[in-house]
Amino acid sequence: MKFINVSKAYAQNVIFDRFSLEIEAGTILAVVGPSGQGKTTLLHLASGLIEADSGEVVKEESEEGAVSYLFQEPRLIPSSTVFSNVELALRSTERCAKIRSQITAHYLGLVGLWEDRALYPAQLSGGMRQRVAIARSFAHQSRLMLLDEPFQSLDIKLRYSLMKAFLTLWNESPKTTIFVTHDPKEAIALGDAVCCLGDASAPLLLQKIDTPRDARGIDDEALLALEGQLIKALLSPRG
Amino acid sequence: MRSVKHTLVALISSALLLALWQVGAHVLDSQILLPGLAPVFKTLVSIIGDGPFLANIGATVVRAFQSFLIIIILGSVAGVLGGNFPLFSAAMKPFVTTLKAVPVMSIILLAFIWFTSGQVPLFSAFLMGFPVMYVQVESGWRSIDGNLIQMCDLYEIKGFDRLVHFTIPSLVPSLVTGARISLSMVWKVVIAAEVLTVPRYGVGSRMQLAQVQLQTDRVLSWTLIAILLTACGDLLFELIVHAGAAVKRTVDRRRAG
Repeated sequence: MKFINVSKAYAQNVIFDRFSLEIEAGTILAVVGPSGQGKTTLLHLASGLIEADSGEVVKEESEEGAVSYLFQEPRLIPSSTVFSNVELALRSTERCAKIRSQITAHYLGLVGLWEDRALYPAQLSGGMRQRVAIARSFAHQSRLMLLDEPFQSLDIKLRYSLMKAFLTLWNESPKTTIFVTHDPKEAIALGDAVCCLGDASAPLLLQKIDTPRDARGIDDEALLALEGQLIKALLSPRG
Repeated sequence: MRSVKHTLVALISSALLLALWQVGAHVLDSQILLPGLAPVFKTLVSIIGDGPFLANIGATVVRAFQSFLIIIILGSVAGVLGGNFPLFSAAMKPFVTTLKAVPVMSIILLAFIWFTSGQVPLFSAFLMGFPVMYVQVESGWRSIDGNLIQMCDLYEIKGFDRLVHFTIPSLVPSLVTGARISLSMVWKVVIAAEVLTVPRYGVGSRMQLAQVQLQTDRVLSWTLIAILLTACGDLLFELIVHAGAAVKRTVDRRRAG
């Protein structure tokens, strides 16, 4: 996916000004940046929820079509069960109810919620709700995945357990993913590449991570150095 | 335990009310001003045994039910239109504001000039209940969570699926609240209109005739019947709401396997 000379402004507030960025197909790009520097706008442009004022967002053939969006909050339908919340996201692409049930069961099983399938969102904890949202985003037959700080405001244990659940599902069917977060550690744990926003015309930092995801340790020097670079970029006057 | 406590308090409170009535009747010592409990309940039993009792009850119930149904249907349709189209909402505003401000009696008296005595309760109840239902549904539609609408768009939940699984369930609380308020209003307006227009059958007509003949025990007996009718209507409504929720839960459980 490529953002080519994209410009976007809200009234006088210029978010992107001839901004370019390339994301390798089938990889996760982790995006960090201070508030108001265009992280969510980047996701909205990628999803087609908003249009660029000028420039283009070019998708590869494998990225065209439906989009899965994991929001900051789970956004589950309160009157529908865990099962229905996932199954409903399949209806536009899968006509056979039996197959829909099988897919739903598969993803709910992977996030450990099959036993809770008949519960309603109000009966679940915050972490369980977000796991339903993760299952829904993967069950939806999409080509592109967008994550808007989905692990924000969760305690560290829950956050890492949800990130693990996310990676289990993602490894099953890797697809181009943009993962927006405030947390450099999260970005490094999940991304194939990390990007720091903060300048309207170009990323402050864009770096590929060569260490395989499952070999990344918290005391890996190269990753600690990258984290330091990200923090520096975030704290820089433009960041 | 909590519900037992509440029931007990309600029973004690009801007993206190009846005791106050009896004390008042004893102090006033007048069958016209305030008859005691015994004569009123005796009259109540004789009214229930009368031939036209069911015809009177039936006429009031049918009028209330008809107007309630019309309020629910038209109030919901107009509410959804108002919530969805700001211009429609702006056009409805003067009607709704006027109807909310006009006294019930004015509506009944005007309706009596325009319609027959049997139609007046129906028309008056509709005019009083419609704004309540309309306002509830309109605000319910407007308060549908925009984040969830965006989620439905992104996950391509549309058409019939969106209507059944998202839109209608989002509106249910407003529909139930509007219907509940309208229902209790409908009984009062229908009976008040019957009192003023005296159709051949109706609880209000019986009250009016008893009042003209200074039969206070009969007025109070018919009032008790009206209270019971309202209570039964409310109970039936709550039962339907609970049954609907139970059916939905069962269907949801079956779908989840």
